[in-house]
Amino acid sequence: MAAARRYVLLSLFAIPWIVLPLWLLVVNSVKTESDASLLSIGLPSHFNGGANYSTVLHQGRYLVGLGNSLLMAVPSILVVLLLGSMAAWAYARSPRRSLRVTYYVSVLSVVLPPAIIPTVYTLTQLGLNGSRLGYLLTIVGTRLGMVIFLCTGFVRSLPTDWEEAAQLDGAGRWQVYRRIVLPLLSPALFTGAVLLVINVWNDFFFALFLLQGPGRVTLPLTLYQFASSSTYGLRWNLVFAHVILTSLPLLAAYIIMQRRVLAGLTEGGTTG
Amino acid sequence: MATVAERSRTGRLRPGLALFALPSVVLVLVFFLVPFLANAVFAFVRWTGYSDTLSWTGLTNFELLNQLGILGHAIRITVIYAVITMAVQNGVGLALATALEKTNRVNTIFRSIFFIPVLMSPLAAGYIWSAVLSPDGPANDFLSAVLPGSIHYAYLGHGVSALVTVACIDAWKWSGLATLVYIAGLNRIPAQLTEAARIDGAGPWRRFWSVKFPLLAPAVTFNVVITLVGAFSALDAVFATTGGGPGDATTLLNVALYLQYGQSYFGQASALGLVVTLLVVVTAVPLITWLRRREVPM
Repeated sequence: MAAARRYVLLSLFAIPWIVLPLWLLVVNSVKTESDASLLSIGLPSHFNGGANYSTVLHQGRYLVGLGNSLLMAVPSILVVLLLGSMAAWAYARSPRRSLRVTYYVSVLSVVLPPAIIPTVYTLTQLGLNGSRLGYLLTIVGTRLGMVIFLCTGFVRSLPTDWEEAAQLDGAGRWQVYRRIVLPLLSPALFTGAVLLVINVWNDFFFALFLLQGPGRVTLPLTLYQFASSSTYGLRWNLVFAHVILTSLPLLAAYIIMQRRVLAGLTEGGTTG
Repeated sequence: MATVAERSRTGRLRPGLALFALPSVVLVLVFFLVPFLANAVFAFVRWTGYSDTLSWTGLTNFELLNQLGILGHAIRITVIYAVITMAVQNGVGLALATALEKTNRVNTIFRSIFFIPVLMSPLAAGYIWSAVLSPDGPANDFLSAVLPGSIHYAYLGHGVSALVTVACIDAWKWSGLATLVYIAGLNRIPAQLTEAARIDGAGPWRRFWSVKFPLLAPAVTFNVVITLVGAFSALDAVFATTGGGPGDATTLLNVALYLQYGQSYFGQASALGLVVTLLVVVTAVPLITWLRRREVPM
């Protein structure tokens, strides 16, 4: 009985918190502009979905944004996972004081806010301001700390036996990392990857400051520019269609992998 | 055994192990530490887009921001915003985690539903809730239906309510993640402890506050610090809802920073960036120390 009451309460909370906002989003994205301006939760009187979504694809520059988002997110996340786990191994197993200092600096970068204006300055000095590469390197440099933090703790909790056995068998450092450490780290790396995907895919702050030119916009930038482009207030049907298309890649990935994602975040993550 | 382990570690692996950290050390130094330290200098430098020379000006940037009424106001509303976001996010997260603590089929479905906003961009969250809460939106429709009179309140159109509303939208976006962190924390509590309390006659409410909540301290530390720190540098949710208004009611520090940057006042923008950093440091360090002290070893 207690369980039944709990589920009723949870459902009552889920309706205004999740269901209603998402329903409003979906149903108004297929209405005509005047219909959607009423912001009602009723069904559309005239289905205008095809026109709305094709407007977003063309005027909203969705495909440009999607391409750039993939081009930024995929390599930066892979590089962060690779370099972060390599560094974590060194930090967990080496007692060198210099490494301890750089470990603490990396962990501090998780908590401390990024200094955006000097980052623009640094990238200008390197000739990378406004470029994709500059954005990519900044994302990598500011996100490494999180993976280093997750993985160093994880490696420290592992016994050194396997690594030693592999060495005794004549494996080099790279082989030990590649064949022993990396596979053992996979739960921590999965958790790190989930957090990185959420964080990097939706990044608006760095993109706003660091990416210049219409050809380099990522999805959050196209969404913002599209929504702000109208002088008569928001055209809700189109804004909603853009929101849906922008959220779709992550939602699709989540629907396929939700069990692992939720388990990874509740089991792998935050041991503090 | 220990000597073998020591020997093999010092023997072959150790000398080159530092090389594995090298690439990330370089990237963290160049793209995090150098800008971070440079910010402490740029905040005291006269640097605008209208002149090629950078010169030391002491506190002038801060004084200018203060004269414009930006500095104190932005600090005040950023702190209020962060506290509201933190409170709502952790309140909702903790309540949901308690309700969804056990892993079973129905709870898993609820967990995945409540996690959806985490995947959306804060901009998307901002647009959705601007619509729900617009004067003619469904929230007011509902209130008009259950309360006497016709309600068309503009939640984002009045100073204080706009600040509170945007803070809640930010909290909405992230509370699914806080929920999972709290569930992880609850699942780490040994079942014998709550069972013992039950046998001693403690009701569910008492069991939660006297047994579980104190043992949940590491998760609380993590969530409170992360939400506060995140909210101090908030920008996206504001951009998608109020754009900083009405007036300057939601011009948080980072929004003010962007406006200064847009006018090419790079020194003043850096000064605002330094304030965000100081806010994080003066909040996070004592908070972590204090919350850590509350943690009970299990």
